[in-house]
Amino acid sequence: MRLNIRFAGAGGQGVIRSSILLAKAYGLGEDMNVTQTQSYGPEARGGACKAEVVVSDEDIDYMKIDDVDVFIAYNQTGYDKYCDDLEEKDLVVINSTLVETNNSNHYKVPATKIAEEMGNPLAVNMVMLGALTKLLPNLRYQKVIDVIKEEFDDSIVKGNIEAFDRGYSYMEEKEAMNGEPPESL
Amino acid sequence: MPYARYGRKVILQGNEACAKAAVYAGCKFFAGYPITPSTEIVELMCSEMLNSGGTFIQMEDEIASACSIIGARWGGKKAMTATSGPGFTLMQEAIGFAAVTETPMVIVNVQRGGPSTGQPTKSSQQDIYQAKYGSHGDYEIIALAPASVQEMYDFTIRAFELSEKFRTPVVILADEIVGHMREKLIVYSGEKRIRAGYRHYVLSPQDDFFTGNNTLVEGQLHDSEGKRVGHLPNRSAYYVNSINRKITRHIDEIEDIETFYMADADIAIIAYGSVSRPSLKAVKTARGINVEAERRMRLLNRMIGRKIDKNPYSHLNIGLIKINTVWPFPEKRLKHLAEKCKYIFVPEMNIGKYFREIERCLKESRVISLPKLGGDIHTPDEILMAIVREVGNSE
Repeated sequence: MRLNIRFAGAGGQGVIRSSILLAKAYGLGEDMNVTQTQSYGPEARGGACKAEVVVSDEDIDYMKIDDVDVFIAYNQTGYDKYCDDLEEKDLVVINSTLVETNNSNHYKVPATKIAEEMGNPLAVNMVMLGALTKLLPNLRYQKVIDVIKEEFDDSIVKGNIEAFDRGYSYMEEKEAMNGEPPESL
Repeated sequence: MPYARYGRKVILQGNEACAKAAVYAGCKFFAGYPITPSTEIVELMCSEMLNSGGTFIQMEDEIASACSIIGARWGGKKAMTATSGPGFTLMQEAIGFAAVTETPMVIVNVQRGGPSTGQPTKSSQQDIYQAKYGSHGDYEIIALAPASVQEMYDFTIRAFELSEKFRTPVVILADEIVGHMREKLIVYSGEKRIRAGYRHYVLSPQDDFFTGNNTLVEGQLHDSEGKRVGHLPNRSAYYVNSINRKITRHIDEIEDIETFYMADADIAIIAYGSVSRPSLKAVKTARGINVEAERRMRLLNRMIGRKIDKNPYSHLNIGLIKINTVWPFPEKRLKHLAEKCKYIFVPEMNIGKYFREIERCLKESRVISLPKLGGDIHTPDEILMAIVREVGNSE
């Protein structure tokens, strides 16, 4: 199995942080090989920002992504920039508060709205990560929770896990409603 | 690499792994001036030195950084500095001084695009010659080129070992990609015992200042007591020979080359550093080695807009020679490994530099340079297509 996962969004939305958490959950929790890279440059708040994670049970020779399997868009700019690379089989999760698209195959999570309703607008990435965890193969809920606990300061762990759960259960409900599990990759 | 695979699994950036390895190798002094893309080393060393009872100084520039680690080493502490291209240029004077005084020091150069300020946030391998020829005068240097985060860790430890054993500056030629990539690696706990004060290969006095001896540290050519011999042609020649030979004569011990699928190969890719990874992917694709090959095929079909069923590269018997110790140049071993190869391809993230060394060494083969400028790494497809362009399609 090899998964090429790409995150795109704006600096400040926690794009890179969520990619690191995912890499750690897969790498340490599930003991897969992982490589995480990120765009590096003027990623100040508001600028375009990209992160990539390769997950594989084989050795990862080429560390970059040329064929996306999973795409996560945090904002419109990020979506527009990389949506041309997408194929029908790809799993796409978008932050539907900020991204508008007609494609009905995409998983839409109103992450910014959920986070703001919780009074924790910084946790957009946690909501997205929660939804993503539900959708991705070979990734256990508990492993991601363990990484979140380890990665964050005690003062914000609780809020982050709450936001993560919101995203996770949002996707669970969606699935229950539609009655069809996402196609495995 | 000769290190046992035990320890704790963690996920770190290459730069962070380098700092952790330095602490494990017993580094007790770090002086540096933060520069993209090596800043994380300086940042982490700051806290690591504090925690492990070492000293961290943020210097006013890279000249001072390099000079102060020479001083620290003579003061009895293993020392390291980290920088990128522009800083490495400033350090050259100190590297020459370390070479002539036979001072062990480890310099990490996380390469970025040059010349000058160049491309701070992009990767390159443009400093390959500067690492060897940067300072004036005749001296040899050891340079290691890591390609993964684990190698960044292992090679940093090895750099300390080699620098102590041969009492010479050792350069770690990483690049932005390796420095900023996060991967799983195994780190060791505690501190490695690296023997200092080898006497076999060295001419200069070797006592640290704090061991109770009088020591002369002399930038002029000198004898075993540190006394100047610059006015004596024979002794001077002997000295320069000696600091070169201690490395060139022990190349068997220093060199580290990995080979992949070379047993029946008549085409070889010779690569070092991060470029060796897309190269290995290219080799595996051509040989149809893993399930990844299928994905490549699909990608290729999409690119050319029609379907090919057969692996279009199956006629290529490619292997990879990955050079981990880029300097001293492992000429003899390379000749032996590549003797059956008709074609040699040398992908590099520069204008085609190391290729000249290889061309000089492998006269029987056709050596082709695959340079790439601009800051991005080669893709496996680029490498394969370049090979097909040269070797031809299958009949």
